[in-house]
Amino acid sequence: MARGLGRYIIIRALMIIPTILILYTLVFFFLRILPGNPVMAVVGTKNIPPEQLEHLMEMAGLDRPLYVQYFDYLRGILHGDFGVTLAFPMGKPVWDYIAQRFPATLELAIWAFTISVLLGLLTGVIGATRKGTKTDTAMRVYSIVAYTLFIPWFGMMLQYLFGIHLHWLPTSGRLDPGVNLHTVTGLYVLDSIITGNWDALVSSVRHLILPALTLGIVLSGAYTRLVRNNMVDVLSQDFIRAYYARGVADRKVMWYTLKNAFIPVVTLMGLQFAILLGGAVLTETTFSWPGMGTFLVDRIDYRDYNAIQGAVIFFAFFVGIISLIVDIVYALLDPRVKY
Amino acid sequence: MVFSVVASGCIGGGGEEEATTIVIGVTDKVTDLDPANAYDFYTWEVLNNVMEGLVKYKPGTLEIEPALAESWEVNEDSTVWTFHLRKDLKFADGTPLTAKDVVRSIERIMTIQGDPSWLVTDFVDKVEAKDDYTVVFYLKQPTAYFLALLTTPPYFPVHPDYAPDQIQSDQTAGGAGPYKITKWVRDEELVLEANPNYYGEKPKTEKIIIKFYRDASTMRLALQNGEIDIAWRTLRPSDIDSLKKDENFNVIEVPGGFIRYICLNTQNEPTSNVKVRQALAAAVNRPEIAQKVFMGTVEPLYSLIPNGMWSHKDVFKEKYGDGNIELAKQLLTEAGYSESNPLEIQLWYTPTHYGDTEADLAQMLKEQWEKTGMIKVTIKSAEWGTYTDYARNGQMQVYLLGWYPDYLDPDDYTTPFLKSTANSWAGTGYSNPTMDDLLSQAQRLSDQNERTKLYEQVQDILAQDVPYIPLIQGKLFVVTQKNVKGVTIGPDMIFRYSLLYKE
Repeated sequence: MARGLGRYIIIRALMIIPTILILYTLVFFFLRILPGNPVMAVVGTKNIPPEQLEHLMEMAGLDRPLYVQYFDYLRGILHGDFGVTLAFPMGKPVWDYIAQRFPATLELAIWAFTISVLLGLLTGVIGATRKGTKTDTAMRVYSIVAYTLFIPWFGMMLQYLFGIHLHWLPTSGRLDPGVNLHTVTGLYVLDSIITGNWDALVSSVRHLILPALTLGIVLSGAYTRLVRNNMVDVLSQDFIRAYYARGVADRKVMWYTLKNAFIPVVTLMGLQFAILLGGAVLTETTFSWPGMGTFLVDRIDYRDYNAIQGAVIFFAFFVGIISLIVDIVYALLDPRVKY
Repeated sequence: MVFSVVASGCIGGGGEEEATTIVIGVTDKVTDLDPANAYDFYTWEVLNNVMEGLVKYKPGTLEIEPALAESWEVNEDSTVWTFHLRKDLKFADGTPLTAKDVVRSIERIMTIQGDPSWLVTDFVDKVEAKDDYTVVFYLKQPTAYFLALLTTPPYFPVHPDYAPDQIQSDQTAGGAGPYKITKWVRDEELVLEANPNYYGEKPKTEKIIIKFYRDASTMRLALQNGEIDIAWRTLRPSDIDSLKKDENFNVIEVPGGFIRYICLNTQNEPTSNVKVRQALAAAVNRPEIAQKVFMGTVEPLYSLIPNGMWSHKDVFKEKYGDGNIELAKQLLTEAGYSESNPLEIQLWYTPTHYGDTEADLAQMLKEQWEKTGMIKVTIKSAEWGTYTDYARNGQMQVYLLGWYPDYLDPDDYTTPFLKSTANSWAGTGYSNPTMDDLLSQAQRLSDQNERTKLYEQVQDILAQDVPYIPLIQGKLFVVTQKNVKGVTIGPDMIFRYSLLYKE
């Protein structure tokens, strides 16, 4: 069995490579189909003579044939080199930005993920245990509404309510101006705890609440449905009835039910992770959250080929790894899964 | 995979008293903290607060006053300019600043040849340090407005830490301005603190924090929630309109030198016909645009030289008026068009670069032109990187662009547009030898009255040839919390943070 699992992991890991290669190829060519390029986006309508434009194209390496650019970047990626930015500032390693921005996205994603799972479990369990009642209907409505909410709109509603109206929470950024924080991991809440900086802890948690809540609520809808339906299924099975017949306490039965209903939820967590990162892009722009999402959108404005390619590949790699981990966890949880 | 990104550093500044810090929000970006390559409005503003040139505009005016130089003289034909530096000048970290630093900085611009380098290389032949306190500029041709050029960042002396032959986009060593940069996280935060070695008056506020926002609505929320003290560039017209009615904020309005105009391709059919171009100019109704699209946050503009600048003349108003449908119809008839055989044009705009009012502007122009009954307009759009490529290659027929001045002189609003050797970036293909002559003459003369006469002629020909149709001139809006005072923005449009304070 252990050997089987090892082989399975290796094969699944190798599958990430063609995925990334296809994605890179698509992004590379889509970025270049339109006329214009990063140099033009930067130069814009500035009064710059044509010779200088050529010089800039050369500096950016955009004067080389397409296939050279394609393989050159690919070779870099294989060596872990994500290239350098082609627009403000020109020539800075893309990796530096990923290293700076990704922890912000990760922190937002972790909190939003936790909120979505907790909310989803809570509403799902309530719905399942009160099956057919008005409460059940209410939970189902919650699930649909949450799932269809448009993040920028919903985020702005929360900003108005908790920011402008009640003045309880900040509406943008990660820390209050003037708050000191020595960063270790780039996850501010964790860093505040590690360094024992309580001011920064309060400030970073306050900044996290609204964006994490926005994304968390939107993503919780899918869990509500899944948890409810699975629990209803499990509750109707013979072994549960057997428990009841033997007089096992209600709370204990619920616990067994939940455990059995949880396996499909783990699968969904893996699937949701990609959606979570996508949602993070929208949440970040709504809350000026300085993560990968805002970085990507900024770079698209500049048509910074290298930065966009780098960010997309990094995202793809990350999602690939996460779904691999989910698959392994799934395999360990459910003994029926074979490799 | 173990994922660990280890970053280290310090987030945030010190824990000063509230009153000594002012937080400013912007949606603009800082491009290059290096005057060798920075070439946009907002970055120049930041550079103006952390560096200074030999001369500067007196805050709030167009009057030039001594800065790093105490005095200067110029030879008869304004080709040799000699500047005498203040003694004991220092960079923010205490390194002495002498004439050699001025020369090194200017030569650095010439070597690197970044985007704005033409502001130096087109004019300066060479620059020399006669001694520690004397700098001499030898110009290529007489340049009447050389002092105006000296106020631009490419002429600012920079700290020796700036590499002599390389653009350093994130260099924070700065120059000798009222502030120094103490923290810089691109697209997130810039922290400025008073420069203890500044020769001039100490800034009224010790610390300025600039917060960068992705969009205007988030910035507006941050202002309303008290997270920032000032919302600066650029709120949307609708935000400004509603904040004006809100008693919790001060809305300060300043005339701006930013202009918007329509470009017309003079090389390709049908806009190669001057009558067609004139007809389009006649049918445009600027006050309607200013009111309906921009909610009064801009003013109508009838020349490329902005309102309020010397030699400005309302040439398009005199010649065509506003929404002059009759004249437009007459000109179109003369050009061979009729209601059954309408003029068909494509109007181009770019959806984000000039804010989200741009689609409305294009729509309004379409309506105004179609009112003639003899024009059919198709609206097209392209993203900025594509759009500018189309423009430069003359691939668009009728298209919307905008201009921020490099230096404050009518020359900067005319030569880059109208001189056939300088306007390739705009893609209109406009060329008129008389125009070229007039512009060259005006550049060389030093007498403002004589120059005014020439620029008036230039504007008359502009209204006759119509390679561009001026539309509107922007105003600047600074929205602050009630307790923020000292907002000073002059005709140079530079916001001087050192004059800000809280009550």
